[in-house]
Amino acid sequence: MTETPTILKLKIDRFRGLQALDWNPTSGMNIVLGGGDAGKTTILDAIALLLSPSNSIVLSEADYWQRKVEDEFVIQAVLALPASSEIGQQQKFVWPWEWNGSNAVPPVGDEDEEQGAPASARPVYRLQVRGTAELEIYWEIVQPNDETDLLSAAVRRDIGVVRLGGDDRNDRDLRLVYGSALDRLLADKGLRARIGQRVSEIDLAAHLGDEAKKALEELDRTLKTEALPSGLDLALTSSQGLSIGALIGLMADRAPGVSLPLASWGAGTRRMTALQIAAASEAESSITVIDEIERGLEPYRQRKLVKSLQAQAAQSFVTTHSAAAINAADKASLWYLDGAGHIGALPHAKIARQQERDPETFLSRFAVIAEGPTEVGFLSYMLERAIDGSFADHGVRVCDGQGNPATLDLLEALAGGGLAFGGFADDEGQASGRWTALKTKMGDRLFQWQGGCTEEAIIKLVPEDRLAELIGHDDAGVAAERRVTLATRLSIEDKSLEAILAATDDFRPLLIAAATGSKDGAPDDEATKMWSRHGRRWFKSAPGGRELAAKMFALSIWPALKPDLLPFFNAIRAALGQATIADIAHDG
Amino acid sequence: MTDEDVAALLNSNAPLVVVEAPAGCGKTYQGAHYALRAASALSTGCVLILTHTHAACAAFAQATRTAHRKVEIRTLDSLIVQIASAYHKSLDLPPDPAAWARREGGDAYATLAARAGKLITRRPFVAAALAARFPIVIADEHQDASADQHGVLMALREAGAKLRVFGDPMQGIYAKTKAAVEQAQARWEETKAAGAYAELETPHRWDDGTPALGNWILQSRDALKEGRPIDLTGALPLGLTVLYADNSAAGRGYRLSDAERAPLNGITRPGSEILILTSQNDMTEALAAFWNRSIPIWEGHTRPALDRLISANEAAAGDPVAVARAFVGFMGSVATGFSPSSHGNRFVQEVSQGCTGAARGKFIHVQQLARLILDEPNHVGVAKCLTALSGFRRDRVSGFEAINIDYRSEYRDAIRLGEFADPHDGLAELGRRRSFAHPVPPARAISTIHKAKGLQCDNALILPCDRRFSSTLYSRCRLYVAISRAKRSLTLVLSRSDPCPLFKV
Repeated sequence: MTETPTILKLKIDRFRGLQALDWNPTSGMNIVLGGGDAGKTTILDAIALLLSPSNSIVLSEADYWQRKVEDEFVIQAVLALPASSEIGQQQKFVWPWEWNGSNAVPPVGDEDEEQGAPASARPVYRLQVRGTAELEIYWEIVQPNDETDLLSAAVRRDIGVVRLGGDDRNDRDLRLVYGSALDRLLADKGLRARIGQRVSEIDLAAHLGDEAKKALEELDRTLKTEALPSGLDLALTSSQGLSIGALIGLMADRAPGVSLPLASWGAGTRRMTALQIAAASEAESSITVIDEIERGLEPYRQRKLVKSLQAQAAQSFVTTHSAAAINAADKASLWYLDGAGHIGALPHAKIARQQERDPETFLSRFAVIAEGPTEVGFLSYMLERAIDGSFADHGVRVCDGQGNPATLDLLEALAGGGLAFGGFADDEGQASGRWTALKTKMGDRLFQWQGGCTEEAIIKLVPEDRLAELIGHDDAGVAAERRVTLATRLSIEDKSLEAILAATDDFRPLLIAAATGSKDGAPDDEATKMWSRHGRRWFKSAPGGRELAAKMFALSIWPALKPDLLPFFNAIRAALGQATIADIAHDG
Repeated sequence: MTDEDVAALLNSNAPLVVVEAPAGCGKTYQGAHYALRAASALSTGCVLILTHTHAACAAFAQATRTAHRKVEIRTLDSLIVQIASAYHKSLDLPPDPAAWARREGGDAYATLAARAGKLITRRPFVAAALAARFPIVIADEHQDASADQHGVLMALREAGAKLRVFGDPMQGIYAKTKAAVEQAQARWEETKAAGAYAELETPHRWDDGTPALGNWILQSRDALKEGRPIDLTGALPLGLTVLYADNSAAGRGYRLSDAERAPLNGITRPGSEILILTSQNDMTEALAAFWNRSIPIWEGHTRPALDRLISANEAAAGDPVAVARAFVGFMGSVATGFSPSSHGNRFVQEVSQGCTGAARGKFIHVQQLARLILDEPNHVGVAKCLTALSGFRRDRVSGFEAINIDYRSEYRDAIRLGEFADPHDGLAELGRRRSFAHPVPPARAISTIHKAKGLQCDNALILPCDRRFSSTLYSRCRLYVAISRAKRSLTLVLSRSDPCPLFKV
């Protein structure tokens, strides 16, 4: 049996900026990522509206997709609820649906006797909130026969939603508003009445100044002569829609002897406090909805908040633009919402390393996953020239995919998640089927060398007489180190270029072997270790990659590679809304 | 067992308590008081009382009204219909299973019970949801539960609801075949064995009536239960009268000699309170005629002729002749004097010929009626036709004076049905109104034993006590239900020529 309320499925139709969304979130923490205006906040708002503890909500045209009020909106969720849930105690009985692993269905009654109920079979409920063409709002329970019944505020309060919105003034969970975290924590139904009673006992008139008293007595006399109600006094009276609870909030000591409302603290502190109140409540944990979890919090507090949310059994929905938050969310499920309202999972197993090393990958507008440091440098150099304006300012981020298999995993995960992204990889002759499938999906946004790696592809094309130029470097020490790698492989003491050229008939393969750190032909284990590190002296680093790109142009190799590489850069330009170019401007 | 012992057992934590409750021994009192105690102890959820009849619902509602928010009372069938309705897609049923069952008639309710029972057994979470809402379930008249209905209750118990079962195997009169009767008895024994068991044995119903009669009825129950005849040879208790009379009518009818009739007239004189009980439907009609229709037939909560009429209308699909035939059939069931030969055949003929022929005498009026069906060949036309017919009777139109309505409620409901666009919705609504109104029989009424089950009265008259009561268990149960209705006086009309084997005289 479920211990905490959990949304297993969320379906949004025509709510605000979302035309249609169909999503099966996970229990625990869900982090929704996505570009600006993709509708992340709308998802959170939808959950909060569905579970709103209050009926006094006024809809506006803006709540409807494209303001098409006549088309109505529906937010529907399939929830698993704790056994003790209020939902079973409605006036009209609420019948459970069966969860089939992906949706709520009427229980299937006719399977074989031995087979019994499938393992996934568990009771779930279908709740929805509807905005009608008349701007009215209805909360409803959908029964397994598709009839709808009223979903009372009591049930919604019982399920509970703690909402930390983007709104800076939002402090409802710190006040004694119906259904707020504080209200649920105190769980004292008679409190408001008792406070109201005490407040009404205060003799306000006694505190009036003499002039004010006189004015009141004067008015009393006038009313009396006019045969209107008299015997005037002052007291606190409530007005329509204002509950005494809303006037009551948590206070805390700001300094010794100075008590201030918690609502006046900083945004981050208020939010952390509200969550602590919710967590301390004895009622079953509620569903937590947090927009921009980083708001008002330094990275260390973001990490703390994310970790504490992850540790809770309760389900939470979070949006963030913070790398620190994503980095800390090692147990959360990451989701990516694209502009078309499609939400895709970023499977933990495939992205965990990237999430840890480079969380910004998931926050960029267009991530380019490059296989390794060479490619990161190479692409950065190229993008500086291929993209109008600074590519980083456009939200393009070149990320290190950390090797061929990891890059493949990550690219697959991103392709499933729906992110706008590109890939740049070597061909190691591995998993060719998966690469082909990915290429079909990504088109020109994926570039893969035909056989070999970046170094190999470029060095192969260097004219014979200019091969030695690859060794050259602004830092003479680096050039010398490169010669050492070559000499070592030739087993010669003399590290001069002349000696090296004299010792080999096949300079190009030697260069390629050294630049890629090939271990082939190493005489012993010690040498194997050493040789494999040779690449770093050459281009196996981001600066090395940049150097390689510069040399590609300088050595006039670009025209030969252009037909293969240019479509990749044009694909990125297209993603940024830039026109196709026929060539990449370059020196030399 | 004393009442206190039974109450203590009900209060216990035993998941299942079975109470055998002879008629009049305070079953409703015990059940209702337990419900009140249990309801006040519940922090969440309600006590659910499941009965088999609307009359029993009414009795429990009255006895638990102080806690009506925490006690829900309904028939077991209505719970089953609710399950079937919520899960009609799973159960391969149309969206409104109640309407479907009414339309199908026959064993449709049994089908609902079987499918709903299977579902909640296979999907314990559904039963668990019910058990969370109803942590305590009280089952009334459990002897009347079918195997499938029993299954639904047991699924609730399995899901954690505390189950309190009241029943009396000697009042099991709904099983129709010998095998079904035996199975029902076996089920009762099994249920007893599965839980804690108690027996009520104080005949409270007769405390303010004739206590001696109450004791005699309990003893008679023992005799019937053990297969012995009821001994009428010794001194009869206060309140019991035995008369002898032999029906001399041929075929379906009831006729007595003046001498035999005289004491009956005394018992049933206007101003008296008397429930006349008989074993079969046709005999109720014969008895209505016997008393010259001065005593109405108690129609209970069922409207079988009306159900048949609506089904036939639906099958007719707008064919006026078929609707006319259904109308004649309905009149034959609820009234006398509107037979095929007297009116019906001509009526159908008029409809089939478009009411164009010349008509004279009463047939002018028959043609008028036929035109109503021709214009609206559906339940609305039927309602108008019945209204017009009532007018003819009231105005003493020649040829219509001899029409007598035996089943007035059914006739009235058929007219009311004309106000509804959809006859099935109408039936459901009328049924709903009926269950809210909790109608009770008038002071003097003729009823079948089945329809009197669950009722009590001051004075009862059972006739004819002849071979219609055979020595089968079913007959013994029926006789016991009949004799246990009366609080003050009971009159048995025995037959000498066709003696009932259940009495020793």
